[in-house]
Amino acid sequence: MARVRSQPEVIRPEPMACAAIAVRDLTKKFSKPGTDSQFIVIDDVSLSVEEGRFVTIVGPSGCGKSTLLNIIAGIEPYDSGSVQVSPRQGTPMHEPRIGYVFQSPRLLNWLTTAGNIEFALEAQNVPREQWQERVTRQLGMVGLAGQERNYPLKLSGGMQQRVAIARALAIEPDILLMDEPFSHLDAITARKMRFDLMGILAKAKPTILFVTHDLSEAVFLSDRIYMMKTNPARIFKEVAIDLPRPRKPEDPRLLDLERDLVQEFFSVLEGTG
Amino acid sequence: MTSVRRIATRIPPGLATFAVGLLAWELLSLFFPPVIFPGPWTLLERMVEIYSDPSSYLVVAQTLQRIFEGFAIAMLTGTAFGLLMGLKRDAELFFDTWIMVLLTVPSVCWAFLGVLWFGISEAAPILTISLIVFPFVAINIWEGTKAVDKGLMEMGSVYRANRSLMFRKVLIPQLMPYIFSSLRIALSLSWKIALVAEAFGAGGGIGQELINWFQDTRVDMMLAWGVSFMIVMVLIDVLAFRLWARRAFAWRPQLAT
Repeated sequence: MARVRSQPEVIRPEPMACAAIAVRDLTKKFSKPGTDSQFIVIDDVSLSVEEGRFVTIVGPSGCGKSTLLNIIAGIEPYDSGSVQVSPRQGTPMHEPRIGYVFQSPRLLNWLTTAGNIEFALEAQNVPREQWQERVTRQLGMVGLAGQERNYPLKLSGGMQQRVAIARALAIEPDILLMDEPFSHLDAITARKMRFDLMGILAKAKPTILFVTHDLSEAVFLSDRIYMMKTNPARIFKEVAIDLPRPRKPEDPRLLDLERDLVQEFFSVLEGTG
Repeated sequence: MTSVRRIATRIPPGLATFAVGLLAWELLSLFFPPVIFPGPWTLLERMVEIYSDPSSYLVVAQTLQRIFEGFAIAMLTGTAFGLLMGLKRDAELFFDTWIMVLLTVPSVCWAFLGVLWFGISEAAPILTISLIVFPFVAINIWEGTKAVDKGLMEMGSVYRANRSLMFRKVLIPQLMPYIFSSLRIALSLSWKIALVAEAFGAGGGIGQELINWFQDTRVDMMLAWGVSFMIVMVLIDVLAFRLWARRAFAWRPQLAT
């Protein structure tokens, strides 16, 4: 297990708080096609997410947030630094299970909602006799009970994203990566989804690394926020949000925090501009 | 008067044009001897004549068997090559030109070569069919493989799906539209080539019937064989492929058949 670099702003210094995700000095370059020159997508990023926490990376579009998640998910290579993902403590040793909710649902439209969840279960070698119970439980959890036999294209965008969340939770992930999962939804649906997500996570309790460009979403959902700037992608601030749950989006303390962060964000972004 | 009009509007336009076409054909045929330009009625009589002889069914069966063997070989090899070229960049670079070369060889060349290499045999028409159809299938599947959704492949690898699961649940379903269009193109090509190949050199089959009747200048008999076989192939296309496609694409809200 990688040791987390001590940072002055880390709050909740719980004893033995273990990092489920530990990223240290991560750098990722892309080479420009047809040339020798490279540009830096992620520049010396370090972050850690303690087990069971909800941590969010906020940054403008195209700042390399999705690339960072893909690296953590193990589907994209990186140039230097280290990335460590650890399974939940107190569970038998296993490869850490990673659930991933993408910006778009990325469902297999030719499979039923149950089939989509079973795809992830089969991929993760979950014994077949557990499938039905898990499918029913997860669909119930995301509010889609009884939709097992329906095909994704017959569901609304919000419902499709719920299926994607159910798929991610069905594998009982050690960590859950979410890449702007509500950004394609209308404001009202997105708001409802955020509420429901809080309820779901109160039960499932995975470690979450969430990515968004929406500060109000970030302050509402997170225990902690990393703020990222672009060109090159770097973390410039870490903020703990120590408000009790369940939260209300209209909580004045959240609104105050959001306003302060927005101001800070723009001063940094314009400063680098 | 109104009731006549109402009935007239109920007739589907496709059927109406078909009927008018038949009528025009029948009228035109009155000006020619039936062995040069038979009308639809004569054609029907000849078909009845052909198919009241039980041995005719053996002729049809023989041609069908050749078509399906050639078609199956072309589909299997074409799909395999198409997948390989779509998934592996090296294979694409290597086979790209060869597939195009194969595509440009005139059908007649294959038919001649088939006879010269294999003589009058079953192998000649089957090989001719598969060689001509193969590149069409390969190119179609290759295009399909290049068009797969990268996001879904990414999703599969995030969840650590193994190769077989990726194939069965992610890749092949995305290729289904391409596989279906390949099947239909391949079948229609196969049967046309089959008749040519049989005419050039094969024991029996509809191609041989066509050549025999051609030597007797009996256009009526040639058409009777050709058209009846055409009907068989259209029925196969409709019954097998379209119904299967309808089931395979049941997940799509709007039907694309």
